[in-house]
Amino acid sequence: MKRMTVQNSMNIHVRPRRSSFRSKKNRGRAADIIALIILILVAAVVMLPLWWMFRSSLMKSMEIFKWPPKFFPSDWLFSNYNIKKTTFDFWLYLKNTLTIVIPCVTFGTATALSCGYAFARLRFKGKKFLFSLCVGSMLMPTMVTLIPLYISWANMGLVDTFWPLTLPYLCGGGAFNIFLVRQFIQTIPRELDEAAYIDGAGYMRILTSIIIPSIRPAIIVVALLIFITTWNDLLQQTIYLSSRSKFTLSVGLTTFMGSFKNDYAGMFAATCLSFIPGVLVYLFGQRYFIEGIVMTGMKN
Amino acid sequence: MPWCASALYTTGYKKAGQFYMIALHKEPKRGKAALREQRAAYLFLIPAFLGLSLITYLPLLAAFFISFTNLNTGHFVQGGTLPPVRFIGFHNYLDIFVNPSINFLNSIWVTVTYTLLAVVCSIIYSMIIALLLNRRIPGRGLLRAIYYIPYILPATAVMITWWFLLRYDGGVVNYLLTQLGLKKSYFLGKTSSVIPTLAMIAVWGCGNLIVIFLAGLQNVPRVYHEAAEIDGANAWQRLWNVTLPCMTPIIFFNLMMSVVANLQIIVPALAVTKGGPGNSTMFMTYLMYQTGFKGRELGKAGAIAFVFFIVAAIFAALLFSTSKSWIFSEGGDEKE
Repeated sequence: MKRMTVQNSMNIHVRPRRSSFRSKKNRGRAADIIALIILILVAAVVMLPLWWMFRSSLMKSMEIFKWPPKFFPSDWLFSNYNIKKTTFDFWLYLKNTLTIVIPCVTFGTATALSCGYAFARLRFKGKKFLFSLCVGSMLMPTMVTLIPLYISWANMGLVDTFWPLTLPYLCGGGAFNIFLVRQFIQTIPRELDEAAYIDGAGYMRILTSIIIPSIRPAIIVVALLIFITTWNDLLQQTIYLSSRSKFTLSVGLTTFMGSFKNDYAGMFAATCLSFIPGVLVYLFGQRYFIEGIVMTGMKN
Repeated sequence: MPWCASALYTTGYKKAGQFYMIALHKEPKRGKAALREQRAAYLFLIPAFLGLSLITYLPLLAAFFISFTNLNTGHFVQGGTLPPVRFIGFHNYLDIFVNPSINFLNSIWVTVTYTLLAVVCSIIYSMIIALLLNRRIPGRGLLRAIYYIPYILPATAVMITWWFLLRYDGGVVNYLLTQLGLKKSYFLGKTSSVIPTLAMIAVWGCGNLIVIFLAGLQNVPRVYHEAAEIDGANAWQRLWNVTLPCMTPIIFFNLMMSVVANLQIIVPALAVTKGGPGNSTMFMTYLMYQTGFKGRELGKAGAIAFVFFIVAAIFAALLFSTSKSWIFSEGGDEKE
């Protein structure tokens, strides 16, 4: 008897719920559409500066400042992209930027990997202390260390070379990246590497043949983040690089900006050119990017 | 101490090690493995900690010492006529605060207001965008990319772009404002509007915060939402009572990263505004660059850097001390 009444009362309660659930679903869809509209509108605003740069880079200098402004160029002057080498040598600057960025990304990622692995998996004395030292440096503004670093590089006679910009990254994965790798490794079942250990694999072997293949998204995220920081590091590049043959894209752009003689179209073309490599790299790694950050949990 | 035992064991005193182990009720083999593990761990840590100590912690100490000296870039040039390097006590600190040509208090004020404005606005903006992007909508991947792209563009190029867009005459933003029936603004050209404008540009480029928020949103346990729904909570109530509390650790993380990043703002000043108009974009970092690398007074720049460090530490301390009261932690689920 008792059971019957329970079921009955359940039924009574469930029926109206179900219909309201359906309307809720419709309401949810309406909300989705509103969300989509808002997102598209804001995205248009977000993209406006980039489009504006692009359209200006294709115009005659006269047309750029026309009032009311035109949203599309009347002829698409791709010839603006032939900038004189003496004002903005794109290929040279790109080459210089890449000589800095590529070693930084490769070695920085490797460092972050090995350090993150040790923190995630191995037991050793002073682990907590070392880890807090590591995370603490994340909050340390790089500005503060700039002057002593400059002095020591100057003492070594390495100013106006690429060394001050690359060497620090060769053994500095960056605290955030180490943290990210550690979080990611913790999501991988420990049994995997324990099994390998029992089979006689060393730690290096476990890292290269078990951990690395299973955290590929995290590696891509870390590489991308290091790429962005080194790519964007205008301040250090300005301080250390002074001769034109060593300029990076950022420094080259700033000097162009400081010295141009009304060659607006050329400057905008240069700006657009400097956008391209970053976007390409991002599009290449995008698939892994969000997944990588999601999987790490970002909880602790 | 198991490592004593394994040390004894490995250094040849096998017997002693074994006795020690028996006293500890541990097998010697395990001690050896632990030692091996520890050695491997230190080897793995060497590169990162070499970098950390040489690039972060030692220079920090050095910066502290330099700030008490009269070091000048000229000291590195052979045959200079400068007085020798010596300790001058708190002279640099006094000078930066008193000297009107440095106007340090203005720099602190400008940097702090900019940071607060930029951080608050970008956190709110990125949270809203992340919440919207987290819904089931078509073209999510593309939208996500669009919102993220500003973050990966070179900051210099971005500043030049905005400088062009925000021009008083012929700038497209002012054109759009007049089309909407609003007044034109000077944006980067006027003391009162330059800081809010730069904060707005920072908001535009905060795609990294959006991505981290998105990651956090996807980790909010579904069960909580379902439970709340069964209890009859509407979408607003679920947002306020389920999503946001679960997101507080990530909000904290983002706040922290965003504060550290924005305090160090320098690219707009370096690339476009050069500290002006007036002194309104003389950010602490730019002032340091000016005194240290243009004015050659490295000691003074060191003092500025160290005050900057203290300001950053105050921000961090404030955030950490208030964090306990608003960060929601899941009880009993704490590891380590």
